[in-house]
Amino acid sequence: MKKNRLIDLQNISVTLGDTPVLQGMNLYIRDKEFITLLGPSGCGKTTTLRLIAGFLQPDSGEVFFDGKRVGDTPPHRRPVNTIFQRYALFPHLNVADNIAFGLRLQHKSRVDITRTVDEMLSLVNLKSFANRAVASLSGGQQQRVAIARALAVKPKVLLLDEPLGALDLKLRKDMQLELKKIQRRMGITFVYVTHDQEEALSMSDTVVVMDGGEIQQIGTPIDIYNEPVNAFVADFIGESNIVDGIMLRDDLARFSGHEFVCVDHGFAKDEAVDIVVRPEDVDVVAPDVGMLRGTVTTCTFKGVHYEMIVDIGGFLWMIQTTDYSPVGAFIGLHIEPDAIHVMKKSKYSGLFGDYSCFTEEYYELSEPEEA
Amino acid sequence: MRQLKPLARRLLASPYIVWAVLFVLAPMVFVVYYSFTDRSGAWTLENILGLGSYAQLFGRSIWYSIVATLLCFLLAYPLALALCKMKVKTQRILVMLVMLPMWMSFLIRTYAWLVLLQDEGIVNHWLDALSLPRFHMINTPGAVILGMVYNYLPFMILPIYTTLSKLDGSLHEAAHDLGANAAQTLWRVTLPLSLPGIASGITMVLVPSISTFYISQKMSTGNIFMIGDMIEQKFVMDYDLNMGAALSLALMVMVIVSMMVMRRFTDNEGEVIP
Repeated sequence: MKKNRLIDLQNISVTLGDTPVLQGMNLYIRDKEFITLLGPSGCGKTTTLRLIAGFLQPDSGEVFFDGKRVGDTPPHRRPVNTIFQRYALFPHLNVADNIAFGLRLQHKSRVDITRTVDEMLSLVNLKSFANRAVASLSGGQQQRVAIARALAVKPKVLLLDEPLGALDLKLRKDMQLELKKIQRRMGITFVYVTHDQEEALSMSDTVVVMDGGEIQQIGTPIDIYNEPVNAFVADFIGESNIVDGIMLRDDLARFSGHEFVCVDHGFAKDEAVDIVVRPEDVDVVAPDVGMLRGTVTTCTFKGVHYEMIVDIGGFLWMIQTTDYSPVGAFIGLHIEPDAIHVMKKSKYSGLFGDYSCFTEEYYELSEPEEA
Repeated sequence: MRQLKPLARRLLASPYIVWAVLFVLAPMVFVVYYSFTDRSGAWTLENILGLGSYAQLFGRSIWYSIVATLLCFLLAYPLALALCKMKVKTQRILVMLVMLPMWMSFLIRTYAWLVLLQDEGIVNHWLDALSLPRFHMINTPGAVILGMVYNYLPFMILPIYTTLSKLDGSLHEAAHDLGANAAQTLWRVTLPLSLPGIASGITMVLVPSISTFYISQKMSTGNIFMIGDMIEQKFVMDYDLNMGAALSLALMVMVIVSMMVMRRFTDNEGEVIP
């Protein structure tokens, strides 16, 4: 496996000013994979990207490319290219000259440059835009020019720093698909930075969840969603009800005053744990057959499903269901064994996963702000 | 806020309009009028046709001011580049230092150079003290150009510094990222994007340099004549208002042409026109 490591970050620490941004980070990136660094702002994801690009030197630790140390290699000699948050297109050059910028520096022949520029323009669907001034393009078009410019020099790795942050939702979804397609077609490694968990899940081969300058979890999108390692990951990726529980023995947990059969094991007897139950994994049943019982406090129509907050012994659960229950209704809840995920206690325990202060307004406010 | 009526708006501008008519427009009309008349007030082309005999003077003024402008640029651009890389606090202090001489009368500052550079001046005394040979500095074209560079350098530094400091740092990173080393980034990105600042710096140095008279008088103790000196002489010593006006008119046309050339590099917002 070691041979497959294209980029290797070993024991990296970075302090900017007085703030430690990365603390002893270890991460390797495989050739041709689409890896996403995901986390809230200030988690160190952009810093990681700048380390790889060479704009930043670590205070300690080493960066390896293809097994070779690149600590002293300046950005212009690294086989990586960056898509900047605000594109950083050269305003004094037109679209074609922007794309040709890197090729001219490589002293490619005029014929080669023209051919590559045309190739790139058609790759990003901007064939007729070659002679346009970049200032006359829309955000989405500028984004495509930035991608074409970076890919024209045939990097081994493309670094993308929240590239879709400035686009509106619809365009963002289209670009997600397109980026994934481009990555497959070019057959190169993409390192993608975002705070948008949905973006991370839908595009990546590997997701790296970061917080406070530390990697919380590395895994496939499915692993990250289904098997979060701690309350932070469970809360950051999707919606989660996270409750205190006790592992009575393998495959049997107790929480919210009820014993549940689950599929988790490897814990000590009677170990205190965090239990994660996704809102969509809870079935609404009649109160007398429910494992848990509670009162509906809010019920919001979301199109595909209703989103309800249910008060169960003072702890507010979020439940997504297609069965409508009015506010004030007393309902029973049923949870299948494989819908229960048990996590070891961490420093994040008790911080997340309770919807007691949840309101629609709060939900809007807590949406990550646009960069 | 309520929109002002057109009349009210015009009223607000009226003090300046009066000022401009009296002190900008009227003098210009007089300059044109005197250029095309003789002492008796009769219409003539003699003054304009006579400009040819001052060609050498014009040539010298243009040549000196171009050299001074070029030197200003060569000094100012690296300084502005270096300034932009410093801490914001340091930048502020240094920009203030650049402007500091402008708080003092430019007559006094130029006179100070005379004291420094003359044959029995301070610099030569220092050279004596160090047992080094003396230099003849005053009365040379070099001294005149030095005076211009010294006086007008801030006008080159400030617009270039302003343009450079507004450049998006990620453009430099993007250039590095795409394979440009420091020199290539400077040549292909920084320099073209700072053209508006360079253009206004050149205008602000070239225009006063080309028409200067005091600097050349002091730095050459009256021996090197520039077009500004000649105009002064025509008006003040010879009382030849008509020839003086013709020379002024010629100078004005040159300045306007050079400003129009410079304008080509910038549009209203100071952005580069591709």
